[in-house]
Amino acid sequence: MSEMSKPPEFPKGHRPQVFDDPSIDQLHDAWLALATELAVAFERIDTLERLLEQRLGVAREQIEGYVADEAVAADRARRRADLAHRLLRPFREFREAAIARAEQHAPDPEP
Amino acid sequence: MQDFKQHAMLPATTHDEQARQDFVGAFRGHLSGRLMPGTYQVFASRVEPAFKAKHGRAPADQEEVRKVMTQDSFYQFWSAMQRRSQEMLWESVIDPTERQLPELIERARKLSRKNRGTLRLDPELEIPRYHRAADIHLQPGGYHTDFTADDVAAGVVYDKGINLYMGGALGAENDLTGNTLLAYLREKHPDFKPKRILDVGCAIGNSTLVWARAFPKAKVHGIDVGAPVLRYAHARAAALGVDVDFSQQNGEHTDFPDGAFDLVLSHITLHETSRSALPRILGECRRLLRPGGLMLHLEIPRGRTPMEKFMHNWEAYNNNETFARFMTDIDLVAESVKGGFAAADVQIDQFAPKLDVSQMNYTEHFFWKILAGWKR
Repeated sequence: MSEMSKPPEFPKGHRPQVFDDPSIDQLHDAWLALATELAVAFERIDTLERLLEQRLGVAREQIEGYVADEAVAADRARRRADLAHRLLRPFREFREAAIARAEQHAPDPEP
Repeated sequence: MQDFKQHAMLPATTHDEQARQDFVGAFRGHLSGRLMPGTYQVFASRVEPAFKAKHGRAPADQEEVRKVMTQDSFYQFWSAMQRRSQEMLWESVIDPTERQLPELIERARKLSRKNRGTLRLDPELEIPRYHRAADIHLQPGGYHTDFTADDVAAGVVYDKGINLYMGGALGAENDLTGNTLLAYLREKHPDFKPKRILDVGCAIGNSTLVWARAFPKAKVHGIDVGAPVLRYAHARAAALGVDVDFSQQNGEHTDFPDGAFDLVLSHITLHETSRSALPRILGECRRLLRPGGLMLHLEIPRGRTPMEKFMHNWEAYNNNETFARFMTDIDLVAESVKGGFAAADVQIDQFAPKLDVSQMNYTEHFFWKILAGWKR
């Protein structure tokens, strides 16, 4: 027992399934983890803003009143579009598969 | 609500680790205070009326409530959140504990040497099945698993974890349960001054220390089946400046002589045992008491209505408190009689703590249940 072994990642015992479809349980677990990390990121940003104010004199009002110039705005627009694209990937994939299936089974168009 | 007291055996947290703990604590407070009451509302407004329309009567017991409530979309959502947040609660404490474990073990060794009370571990002790079968409260590894030499991780994780579990309601030193039972003793039996006290299923000794401080001249012992929680308990007691004897023993059969104690206690422990263990533990309590000695067990509420009973037993089905559902309707006086007590010497009392709904998890009507028994 001098070796340090890691405790198990998951607790021993019965894992309940709440929803009829287990993927819904998993989806809820995943978004809750995401929400936690968002809270963690918010707190870090808050700390940074307060330190900026205390140490470098960057007032929080300056952050509120910040206006992006054209280049920054374009860069941010690109990032937003990229995020939307990544987020919607599963739905695009689902839609394309549904369309492909529909086309495969569609009756021949009227002559 | 008091702030949690940072003592020498608790791990430091990074900025992100602390933020994660704070969020899971706040999220659980929100679940309990804002969402949980909604389960009672959907029961009253749509689940029970639908049941009555179909059967011509209200659900007769918690099992009938279970069948219909577990199909309700609001309950399902709350339940999924409650389960996942319980796991996240442990994860948020495990990260900093694992990161600092070698240092925490070293600190525990040093602190333990300062405790004038003894620490007696028994590597041969058979861990009861009710601890081995599932990790109680979903804490990975439970109270009893050593993952390295002189491991204290289970204790560290438990200490901070139970603080998050009840939104800090357990107090600055997780001492609410000990303080509650002590307040009961002082109110009901103000002249009872025990000199030898045993805390059964003491885990990290959070309640044990309350008794050691309240009766400074008494010899106080804590027993538990888990070695890592006891190592931690012994070091933690030293960190908080209290000397207590801890030993690794099963409360069903200890090695203390007959009549060794004036007062034998447990704090929210009985519902984590089993149907066969319960009367054995009560019998052992009786054996350990001197004539005129007192047994006190603090237990969590189990509900009054079928819906409340169902909600309290969320933990039985979703939080590995598998025995808890049998505790709902168990007759603790009859169990005590099985353990050798005279029915007339045993009584059940209720004791209401001052809690906010955001700290209650499953009910807005929280009453501790207290089992008291005298050995005549």
